[in-house]
Amino acid sequence: MGGFTLLAGDTLQLVNINPSTIIFTLINTLIILLLYKFFLHKPVMKILEERKQKIGDEMKAAEDAQAEAEALKAEYSAKLKESQEEAAQIVSAAVKRAGERENQIIAEAQQEAAKMKQKAEESIELEKKKAINEIKDQISDIVIMASEKVCEKEISKSDNEALINKFIAEVGNE
Amino acid sequence: MITPGTMLLAEEGTFTVEGPLRSIPLPFLNDIFGEENACIAESVVSQWVVMIILAVVFFVLGRNLKLKPESKRQILAEWIVGFFSGYVETSMGTRYKKSYAPYIGALFCFCILSCLMGLLGLRNPTADVSVTGSWALITFTLVLYTKIKTGGFKGYMKSFIEPMPFMLPFNIIGDFANPISQAMRLFGNNLSGIVIGGLIYYALGSFAIAVPAVLSLYFDLFSAVIQSYIFVTLTMSYVIMADADA
Repeated sequence: MGGFTLLAGDTLQLVNINPSTIIFTLINTLIILLLYKFFLHKPVMKILEERKQKIGDEMKAAEDAQAEAEALKAEYSAKLKESQEEAAQIVSAAVKRAGERENQIIAEAQQEAAKMKQKAEESIELEKKKAINEIKDQISDIVIMASEKVCEKEISKSDNEALINKFIAEVGNE
Repeated sequence: MITPGTMLLAEEGTFTVEGPLRSIPLPFLNDIFGEENACIAESVVSQWVVMIILAVVFFVLGRNLKLKPESKRQILAEWIVGFFSGYVETSMGTRYKKSYAPYIGALFCFCILSCLMGLLGLRNPTADVSVTGSWALITFTLVLYTKIKTGGFKGYMKSFIEPMPFMLPFNIIGDFANPISQAMRLFGNNLSGIVIGGLIYYALGSFAIAVPAVLSLYFDLFSAVIQSYIFVTLTMSYVIMADADA
């Protein structure tokens, strides 16, 4: 015995607890474990973890972007609403102001008209007074004239009538 | 030649199944292990072949991994690791996933290729009870470690007299029976495959065409997958049963 041999016949028992085989098997198993762990398990786990991380990051980024977009949307719609309100306010203010102005203008016009009417009435009154005074003056003149005429000659009925007609004609000619 | 380990079938001397070869004698161990056992057995040499194959496979599969998988190689690598991780997680829970997934994966790969070494004309390492016994020894150690770690040494001692003190002998037997049955199951299945294969070749003589190949598909390939699967499953279930917290 001794040296390298693969000869049949030099065999162990079929059911045999061999301490050296056990020791070698334990060592071999440990080596396989290390090979599996460091060549395959760890790199794959690392890449899976990285991928998980990356997908998580990307999903988070997407969620963030969506949240941001939604916030912007809310902001914009709020702004839009605000500006619509503002526009409505401006319009209503303008309408109100226009209405006020309209009323003011009307009031002013009415005032003006009233003033003008009053002035007209005043001037009419004045003219009237003036006319009446003139008429009074003329009447007094006429009366003076008529009394002069009466005093000038004896008057008959026909003369009287002629006088009156003459007088009227004079008045009319005046 | 008839040695004590030689199995005799049919007529004497016509069909034998022998134990593993004493491939490399280690004379300096003669005093410790005895002259017969002081050697590197054929089943250890087969393991080295398995280790070389696995080292290459693991190295090729595990290198150059990309965040975005481009190669089928990477998909296969991720599938293998993911399968064992998931399997350990479903069998033992998330707590054990990180610590046990590498061992279970490595053991399964080692075991399945060991069962298939017969296809290369080598002796299956798993057809040697010392090999399957070593793995069962690891299981036994893990079970012991788990029991003491989760229940404390006192709890472990107490577990022998539960539920009744008279259960003590059965509990002691139970602790040893599990790993022994685990080792024997794998060993017996593989050895029976070898025996049946040998018998078929012997019976068919020079007509041994096609039939042995079909049968070998079952006894080597199918049985290898099933037995490896059972072996790692048992390892996991023994450990998780030992966990006092579970």
